[in-house]
Amino acid sequence: MAIDKTGLSRRGFLGMGVAAGVITLTACGSDSDKPSGSGSTAADLVMTVWGGENDKTTYQQRIDLLVSKFPELKVKLQLIPGDSYAQKVQTMIAGGKGPDIMQVAESVNVYASKNQLLPLDELAGKAGVDVEKRFGAIGKIYSYQDKLYAIPDRSGAMITYYNKTMFDAKGIKAPSADWTWDDALAAFKELTIPGKQWGYGGGGWWAQWWSFVYQNGGKIIDDAGKPAVATDEVIEALQWTGDLVFKHGVVPTKKDYANMGADVGGDGAFANGKVAVNTNGFWNINGLLKSKISWDIAPLWRGKEQAVTAFGSGLAVSRTAKSPDAALKAIDFLTSPEAQQKIIASGQDVPANAEVQKSEAFLKPSWMTKPVNMNVFAESSAFIYRAPFVPAWNEMQKAFDDGLADFWLGKKDARSSLTAIQQRLESIIKPAG
Amino acid sequence: MSRLRRREALWFYLFASPWIIGFVVFLLGPMIASIYISLTDWDSFTPPKWVGLDNYTRLLTDDPVFWKALWNTFYYAAISVPLGLVIGLWLANLLNKGVRLRKLFRTLIYLPTLVPLVATAMIFKMVLAPSGPVNDGLGLFGIPGPSWLLEAVWVKPALILLSVWGAGAATVLLLAAMKGIPRELYEAAEVDGAGPVRQFWSITIPQLTPIIFFNLIMGLIGAFQVFSQVYILTKPVGGPDNASQMMVPLLFNEAFSFYHMGYASAISWLLFAVILVFTLIAFRTARRWVFYETEVK
Repeated sequence: MAIDKTGLSRRGFLGMGVAAGVITLTACGSDSDKPSGSGSTAADLVMTVWGGENDKTTYQQRIDLLVSKFPELKVKLQLIPGDSYAQKVQTMIAGGKGPDIMQVAESVNVYASKNQLLPLDELAGKAGVDVEKRFGAIGKIYSYQDKLYAIPDRSGAMITYYNKTMFDAKGIKAPSADWTWDDALAAFKELTIPGKQWGYGGGGWWAQWWSFVYQNGGKIIDDAGKPAVATDEVIEALQWTGDLVFKHGVVPTKKDYANMGADVGGDGAFANGKVAVNTNGFWNINGLLKSKISWDIAPLWRGKEQAVTAFGSGLAVSRTAKSPDAALKAIDFLTSPEAQQKIIASGQDVPANAEVQKSEAFLKPSWMTKPVNMNVFAESSAFIYRAPFVPAWNEMQKAFDDGLADFWLGKKDARSSLTAIQQRLESIIKPAG
Repeated sequence: MSRLRRREALWFYLFASPWIIGFVVFLLGPMIASIYISLTDWDSFTPPKWVGLDNYTRLLTDDPVFWKALWNTFYYAAISVPLGLVIGLWLANLLNKGVRLRKLFRTLIYLPTLVPLVATAMIFKMVLAPSGPVNDGLGLFGIPGPSWLLEAVWVKPALILLSVWGAGAATVLLLAAMKGIPRELYEAAEVDGAGPVRQFWSITIPQLTPIIFFNLIMGLIGAFQVFSQVYILTKPVGGPDNASQMMVPLLFNEAFSFYHMGYASAISWLLFAVILVFTLIAFRTARRWVFYETEVK
């Protein structure tokens, strides 16, 4: 009896240990079991996108439009929730069932550098798609080593949201693209009531403080493809962003934010009327329409130069696509004015098509219930900088997260933080070629 | 072998086959594959490149984050497991007294285990806010509370607090075992003049050791594999600056965020080795302190 008992539990524990050892693989295997459409013909395309309900409906509407125009194209939409998109696509590809058309964004070159996407220059040329004409400055934003790997689909600059009531109360003029850093700081100081109200939601996210870096003439990755974050321009811009929190007290500290509730950041604080200015993308507009505060949007202010981060995503053709020509034909139509109208109609995002961005339908969308200056997006698109979408994008972001943890708590200065990050980035990012 | 026995053997394998197939396909196969992958450089897209023991040497000699994560995991396991056991034992002992509303208390103590972890973690984020209820409570005693989840020193204790919150699971098992201890042992001890404390140490504890042992092993394995708490509670995951980075979040990052499948597999095997060693130690020492009633020494 006694022997039996030990024997059994030993086997049991072995089993548990085994389970621990293979956690990677089981996690990997359990994900890759969705077949992506069977009995496929040449133009039976699988398209993966991320997002929520509204994104699903909007993409589906565009695809329905496509199919009604080109009945020979069949596109099956597969929506994957945002935070597991990368893993899911990774396992789909590793399992040999990759999508034909996939939505990509900042991490596009993870796939491009690993030979998972088709270069589109030739295909696009053949189909008569001129990306620079169709999308303007951002036309080639998804390029890797001079080859185009995705066609822009949704795109919008980061914009400044401001609380009109607070600005009016202090008699400050609305933010504009001409504001300098000093103008911005002066306004933030005016708008701050210590412990109760803050001038600005803060610039801790890469999209925010990198804008200031490029405004200051700095670069995260230099033209030779080497990290360049320990330069004076970058240090100065980061220090300015950090000083807003600790030196001037015009941005809530992490502590202040944690006290506002779980996961409250600049967006939540702005909607609740706790900060006067917030910088973020298009997607906040929809939520803010329901908010009680009175607000409007403006282009981002400027430093020595004008620069602002663009958000968005493109559509890429995977290397395993059954029919690259059909896939490109689909993308061509999806990014045409006709299909991009749907993005406006549902209020999903800013369409990348430059012509559509300037159209009356975008400037005065039917769902808009407040007077919002939608022209800001077209205005901002002139000074979007080209963010470095390196293949090791996720690792680079982690290096910044780790290396700036103490900086955002006010325990370390910009110079020493960035010097340490530069060292780490040098081992992560190897210049191409 | 007789026909009957052969047929019996056939039936045995037939009934055992779902388990055998499941084991081979979902456990053994992936395990063997992961040994191979851990010896390669693989981004999960392009064909793996053989690198020998490179991943292991890099992990052990050239990756400060790995050592930090290992230390954090030890720290977490070394405190949360014993603490959970002691609190579970204490609660079980309280419930075992003939208190009023015992059933209600028992339910309440077990309830946290039933609440989904995500929900609990969200609540903890608010409870542990710099001016949250926990720090307000500390303030009553004149102790200025830390910014739990934001400070490198306090983020691990915060995770341990969350783990102790789930001590109810152990409590229920221990309570059931306590109920099973024969009354006459206590009666005999009382006749011999043993007080309640002596009874607790000389009867209750020895009788409970198999259950304590079970909880210890399960707790160890669970603690070494802690993932969701870190994933939900800390932002960025494992932050600030990897102060709460644990083994499984680390390997998840390497595999699914940085596309270093080979490296991640090597981490999982090192984690396997660590868990194996600790579980073996527990089993070796168990002979000295775990008491089975039917066992003759």
